[in-house]
Amino acid sequence: MLKMILKSLVLIPRNSVFSPKKMNRSSSNSEGAKAEQIIFEFFAKSLHIILESRTPFMSSRNFSGDQMICSPSPSSSSSSSSSVRPRDKWFNLALRECPAALESFDIGRRSSLEPLVVDVVLVARQPFVGDQMSLSDQDELACETKNEQVIERWLVQYDNRKVREASASRSSSSNSKLQVMYKKATLLLRSLFVMVRLLPAYKIFRALNSSGQICKFKLVPKVPTIVEPFTRREEAEMQKFAFAPVDTVCGRLCMSVLYRSLSDVSCEHSAPVSPTFITDYVGSPLADPLKRFPSLPLSYGSPPLLAFQRRHSWSFDRFKASSPPPSVSCSPSPTRSDSQALVRRLPDIPTGRRKDEERDFSPPCSPSGPVSRGITRTESAPVRIPAPSFESKQNLVAPSPRLKLLRQASLKPVRNSGGAVESGAGLEKLFLYGREEFRRSSRVRLSTNSSPRISFSRSSSRSYQEDFDDNDFPCPFDVEYDEITDPSSRSGSFDQRGDIHEPPLESSGSYPKKSQDAAVGALVNMLKKAPPLRQDVSETSIPEIYWNNNKKPAGAHDVAAASMTASGIALAAKTTADALEELRSYKEMKNVLLSQSTMGSSSVTTSPFAVSGS
Amino acid sequence: MNCEACHLKELEVESFEIREVLRCILHTIVFHRALGLIRPKDIDLELFDITYVQCGEIEVEKKIDDKIEQFITWIDKHPNKKSQICLSFYEVKTKQPSWFTNKIERLYWEQWFINLNVLQPTKSPTGKSQHSKLVMDPGEESEERSSRRTLLEQSLQEVLFQIIKFVNEKKDHVPPINDGVIYCPFEITFPSSSDSTFGMDMIKRMLHSGGHPSMLS
Repeated sequence: MLKMILKSLVLIPRNSVFSPKKMNRSSSNSEGAKAEQIIFEFFAKSLHIILESRTPFMSSRNFSGDQMICSPSPSSSSSSSSSVRPRDKWFNLALRECPAALESFDIGRRSSLEPLVVDVVLVARQPFVGDQMSLSDQDELACETKNEQVIERWLVQYDNRKVREASASRSSSSNSKLQVMYKKATLLLRSLFVMVRLLPAYKIFRALNSSGQICKFKLVPKVPTIVEPFTRREEAEMQKFAFAPVDTVCGRLCMSVLYRSLSDVSCEHSAPVSPTFITDYVGSPLADPLKRFPSLPLSYGSPPLLAFQRRHSWSFDRFKASSPPPSVSCSPSPTRSDSQALVRRLPDIPTGRRKDEERDFSPPCSPSGPVSRGITRTESAPVRIPAPSFESKQNLVAPSPRLKLLRQASLKPVRNSGGAVESGAGLEKLFLYGREEFRRSSRVRLSTNSSPRISFSRSSSRSYQEDFDDNDFPCPFDVEYDEITDPSSRSGSFDQRGDIHEPPLESSGSYPKKSQDAAVGALVNMLKKAPPLRQDVSETSIPEIYWNNNKKPAGAHDVAAASMTASGIALAAKTTADALEELRSYKEMKNVLLSQSTMGSSSVTTSPFAVSGS
Repeated sequence: MNCEACHLKELEVESFEIREVLRCILHTIVFHRALGLIRPKDIDLELFDITYVQCGEIEVEKKIDDKIEQFITWIDKHPNKKSQICLSFYEVKTKQPSWFTNKIERLYWEQWFINLNVLQPTKSPTGKSQHSKLVMDPGEESEERSSRRTLLEQSLQEVLFQIIKFVNEKKDHVPPINDGVIYCPFEITFPSSSDSTFGMDMIKRMLHSGGHPSMLS
């Protein structure tokens, strides 16, 4: 956890050269006030520029008000469409939000223009040190004196020892001088903006921001109240760059930096961060296994990750889960591509849009939900943890709509606005988040929900959102397969799937009364009967399966039917068996969906288990 | 008005590095001369561990990219050892209409000369001139390329520092900030031969100051 210690020390000297006593009141006051304001804002802007590029995870490089939607390029950091704040207009340099700078400078708004010193400290992270935020500065110094090093020291000061020019000059001349002063200050700040990115500390800052793992070092900008001068040795080791001073009305603005070459500083990674997020998964029965999970970005098919996914996955996982939920092991790859798809999806989750989706329905069991929650809470490389290749943001939108759709009692028409990619993405998200719904509700509404799911998997992210905004859909795994109102051809296949679920409910009404062991056994049996899914998955990706109507053999449907038969039971039990059931239902859903892709519309009306929409 | 000139340190680049190097340098210079309200963008170079700043104006980006592409095309056709790109900032002055129909005059107030030594793909160990491809071990060649890349990165950083220093040291000649003007108008030129570059530029400057706009547009 990054620690930020900032103190403002901008004060306005009482013996300011802008004292009215020394200037012509009529015009000099205004000119002096303007000059003073320019100088004050110069200090503020300098501090903002420095802190913005030295405060990891708070930089606009990662996120800001303008950047909640991640840009494709990790390096791009601005949005031209953002509104301009009043402070941005100073020196015509609109910077991103840097709360640290604003906080420190707002505090010192009434302070004098004393030299502003900003130390950029490289602190060796103590692995098991407690919350340092609660420590006082002295305690922190005591703890970290040996582990920190000032790698940069910025000095911004107003030198009023220059011979003060008499203010007897005309106002127009003073105005022109102010304009020149302002122009030069603007140029100086442009140079500062470039310089902060050329110095070695910026590489550390960038490494800390981009790394999804906890580094052994952290970058801590400090604005010390008491500046400890460097020793001769330290100063000899550092290089200095002094910006050309800017002459003001009665003084000059000076800026310089002492910086260290960081050839011997390495940012080594220690423990990965992602397990933290996984443990934040509230209510997850896989808390323990989750801790084993490697950090994001996820490796394809990594067993812990698969287990994690499977915990919150859908029907396809039920075929694999032959062990109790807490120890769900990674089964071989019937769903490996699904897992891969899930893996691909997960990185997309913790973004700004993901946060919005969270607010919409904050699924408790979604792997992405707690992950993103954890990420948003900690704001520790939230966008960087996922693999950089995951840049599509449509996926972020899909989960929330899909979840709502899953809960939706009535289906919505399919919106075929997207291509196979979108549908595939939506379907993947379906699997990814359907589990959440299953957790929320003990029922699996496959029939009713699968259709809307499929619909959304086809539709664009916008259509997803629209559906979500409009409806509150039931859990997709509700056993109450009510109606299927989706008129799409694919909804028919879902109807079929739902129908498959229904007979078990109807015929085995006593199923819920079975013991948990029986449910587990049924699940195991179901898993044993699910080879087609494995084969199908290995052949093509999920999106393709859904959109290639003729690929899926009928056997898969049967398997799905069987799986769904076994899955539509024991929903009331909220125990381990319930979790297994959930997994199984997910599996079944996937099978059905897979089967739909091959069976297409032709199978919609032929299935004896078709649930009639009403 | 004085026309300040800055000759940047020569860089040895390979043809595939020209784009990134020029973008870095040109955008850095233009950023320093974009005195209007801007929202800067950080751009990480792919070939080097350097982050440069763009002013965020799409027009500027497009203009620079177009010029770079033209330069690369020109380099391919004229594989000289050394090339020079001139980035000139000017003010547009309108003069009294005379028998010259063109009343628009460009008053150049700053010029930057970017010197590149474009290495050919079949480079020698020295990399200074065109040579036939030498038989080298792949390991040695990669090591040499890596070292050359490192040197280029350091040189590029030095060039950026040079730009910062120049901008800091000389501010008086910069025109005042005009409302509504985001960036100072500029043009990018690359002379046909390096030998006559400086001379041509000097002539242009003299002609500009002398007030013959039609010859200098």
